[in-house]
Amino acid sequence: MDSMNKVSLAQSRIQAIGMPRRNNELWTFFPVAKIPAASATNFATDSATASDAVSIPSTFEISAEKDFAALLPIAKNAHTMVRNIADGESEMALIKANNDFGHTVLNIGKNARVSLEILDNKVIHELAAERFDVCVDEGADVEIFFANPANELPLRFRHFRIVQAANSTVRFSSIERGNGISRVSIDDFLRGSGARFEMRTLNILNGDSSSHHRLTIYHEAPETTSVQFARNLLDGHANASYDGSVIVNPDCTKTYSSQLVNTILLSEDSSVSVKPVLKIYHDDVECTHGNTCGELDADQMFYLVSRGIPPESAKKMLIRSFAKELFYPLPDSPAKKRLLQVLE
Amino acid sequence: MLSIKDLKASIEDGTQILKGINLEVKPGEVHAIMGPNGSGKSTLSKVIMGHPAYHVDGGSVELDGKNLLEMEISERANSGLFISTQYPTEIPGVNNVEFLKMALNSKRNYLGFPEIGDDEFKKLCEEKMELLEMDDRYRDRGVNEGYSGGEKKRNEILQMAILDPKVSFLDETDSGLDIDALRIVANGINHIMSPEKAVILVTHYQRLLDYIKPTYVHVLRHGKIILSGGPELALKLEEQGYDWIEEK
Ligand SMILES: Nc1ncnc2c1ncn2[C@@H]1O[C@H](COP(=O)(O)OP(=O)(O)OP(=O)(O)O)[C@@H](O)[C@H]1O
Ligand SMILES: [Mg+2]
Repeated sequence: MDSMNKVSLAQSRIQAIGMPRRNNELWTFFPVAKIPAASATNFATDSATASDAVSIPSTFEISAEKDFAALLPIAKNAHTMVRNIADGESEMALIKANNDFGHTVLNIGKNARVSLEILDNKVIHELAAERFDVCVDEGADVEIFFANPANELPLRFRHFRIVQAANSTVRFSSIERGNGISRVSIDDFLRGSGARFEMRTLNILNGDSSSHHRLTIYHEAPETTSVQFARNLLDGHANASYDGSVIVNPDCTKTYSSQLVNTILLSEDSSVSVKPVLKIYHDDVECTHGNTCGELDADQMFYLVSRGIPPESAKKMLIRSFAKELFYPLPDSPAKKRLLQVLE
Repeated sequence: MLSIKDLKASIEDGTQILKGINLEVKPGEVHAIMGPNGSGKSTLSKVIMGHPAYHVDGGSVELDGKNLLEMEISERANSGLFISTQYPTEIPGVNNVEFLKMALNSKRNYLGFPEIGDDEFKKLCEEKMELLEMDDRYRDRGVNEGYSGGEKKRNEILQMAILDPKVSFLDETDSGLDIDALRIVANGINHIMSPEKAVILVTHYQRLLDYIKPTYVHVLRHGKIILSGGPELALKLEEQGYDWIEEK
């Protein structure tokens, strides 16, 4: 497939699936009316010729793609940056899009150890969309993380398509604390036995901001593991949503999957929506999901203030510990260091 | 110094738990409160600290002439009241030592003292931990996080030792302690006690009172103090239970 094909293919695919709508199950909780239709579907006719020629991994499957956010950067002819990390390499990298639309392809070799931080593109116009294709070979250990600063992001999509071979580990960790609307979508394919995917995301939202996560994890080999852990701290009119699907194929024995969403509502007008979906076509699997929503723990508050700590400080302590706790289980790594530092 | 007069308090559904408590605590005194399960002992400690689950229906609570009931909870603590709850709350993610320092500095701030320096705090902490024979596990973990019942109680006394309150209300601090821990904790309390301070101990057993001699023993039943006496009352209760009191 050459680059012209990929652009026009993505454009026609968008035409075929149409703009996101509420009744589209991938966009259930998203304020779809906020997507500026003009800038999203106004494709430059000569864009295809400007594109750089990049070999596209067979895992792309553009013609079968269902998520608008996954197609948009390609259809907009985003510059594709390819990074190949050789077998056994250790690498720390920063990734930053310089345009509204970005596309990054990462090919990570066998047993490589990679730490990737995604930085924000601060000059965004109406809409930004980035797509990441991450191909993780056997035994590789990869962490992908970002902690968005509290700036004025109007509307941002980040799509990750992650394909994992046997015994590979991917840890995806993020903090969302922007002021706009953010949507992160992840399709993770656990294609080799022993593959493991962990995602931890923290939303610290205020004002009218909203943050939406849509994940589908495909357990396509035996003995694969996925862990999803989301925490929300919502104030003002903020809204967060979590839409996590786990699909376990037949013959995938000893699959383990967990999903936990904890929300603390700090205001009357903040809200959260959670939709766990489990499609399990095998018996020998352990899948759990849980969802809690509440205010700060009254007993913990009482304990702190009864030791003389003023209520505002006590509240801050509890909020910070709720947030930091999410990342404590990470191994010592740049991601852990950065994310915990952001929460200080 | 602590003066409780005709204190009445109820829970959300309107059920009155405290039905007119009177208690006068003077400097240097140790008061033991005993009484059957469910009589209102823990409720009393939480009401005087201002726990939001209770509504005060009437009466007064004063500490050195200041009306506690009108103060914020943190102000009550910073004015010199300390309560150790029967089941200390776990707060994972809030480091125990940082919490202690924060609490101490809140009090110093309230009283107009500068914050304690790192070295000075470390020294104070080490000294009190040694007194209570506590090891480093208490330092590294979250507040009461994963502590055993006995460890939690010991951690409460550590907080008391560091905050140095005027009046301490210790709710069943002896329960869950093994024989050695009971001795250590009781010695700790005696060590913190002074002629300017007072302690109220809620306990079901005489054994704590072997270590900490009470000035008065009170029996709380159905939300009222129905009998008060000296140390000998605790011995009698241990032998005969509570039923004889109502027969009187
Ligand atoms: N927050 C609450 N909600 C409902 N009931 C309560 C609450 N607090 C106290 N009570 C009730 O009030 C009564 C007194 O409780 P309290 O815990 O004060 O007893 P206690 O004397 O400390 O008992 P124990 O010796 O078992 O510790 C009990 O019947 C208890 O169930
Ligand atoms: Mg009790």
